[in-house]
Amino acid sequence: MSYKVTEEGNVATVHLDGEIDMDVTEKAKEVIFPHIEAGKEVHLNLSNVQYMDSSGISVLIESHQKALEKNTKVIIKDVSKSVLKVIMMAKLEQILNLE
Amino acid sequence: MSEIAHQDHVEKKAFLVNSSSLKDVRNFCREVFEKLQIQEDLKDELVLAIAEAAQNIVKHAFKNNANANELMVVQISCENNKLQIAFYDRGTPVDPKKVKHREIDNVKPGGLGTFFIQEIMDAVEFKDGKKPWINHLVLTKQL
Repeated sequence: MSYKVTEEGNVATVHLDGEIDMDVTEKAKEVIFPHIEAGKEVHLNLSNVQYMDSSGISVLIESHQKALEKNTKVIIKDVSKSVLKVIMMAKLEQILNLE
Repeated sequence: MSEIAHQDHVEKKAFLVNSSSLKDVRNFCREVFEKLQIQEDLKDELVLAIAEAAQNIVKHAFKNNANANELMVVQISCENNKLQIAFYDRGTPVDPKKVKHREIDNVKPGGLGTFFIQEIMDAVEFKDGKKPWINHLVLTKQL
């Protein structure tokens, strides 16, 4: 997994790239969580993530819940068809902020 | 159910029990499913189910603490359009009664892998592991 972060005002945009599985979840958390903890709105761009397993879904849930605690939000953007299918299988499409 | 008659096929591969092997497990499955001409959407689902089962071996049967040389074996077989995926490992014996996913409406991190496996596959069965194996999990799906 590789990533790119851009910041503009109070918004941090995190682009993840590759396959998100148990092997990379700690790295994904290290990239995403500091921005949430700083109270930023995080835009998580998943257009280049073609595979995500339950560990990756856990990162999305944890990010969403942390953001609520910090009175901010995580918006998941440009999710690929294959990842959307996994999000829907987990019945999270109404819980997570998808755009 | 698929209208394609998939050819009978058996293939197995051993992987080191660690999280960095999960990508190799997925790639192995994709290669086999390519040979079996399984359609793309179903292939993605099957790869996810298999990877989740392999992840459970790393995470639970070995609690992320495998000996460096410990192996797990994944065998994919297709016979009369019935797909069977067998997993063999020498981790802590699994008590099938304790293998449960979280309540799906109780949204929290974790506990989804087993749910995905059950959603995707027709049957999930723990069999007696014959020596040298301890755990033997079998997933099946009618194609």
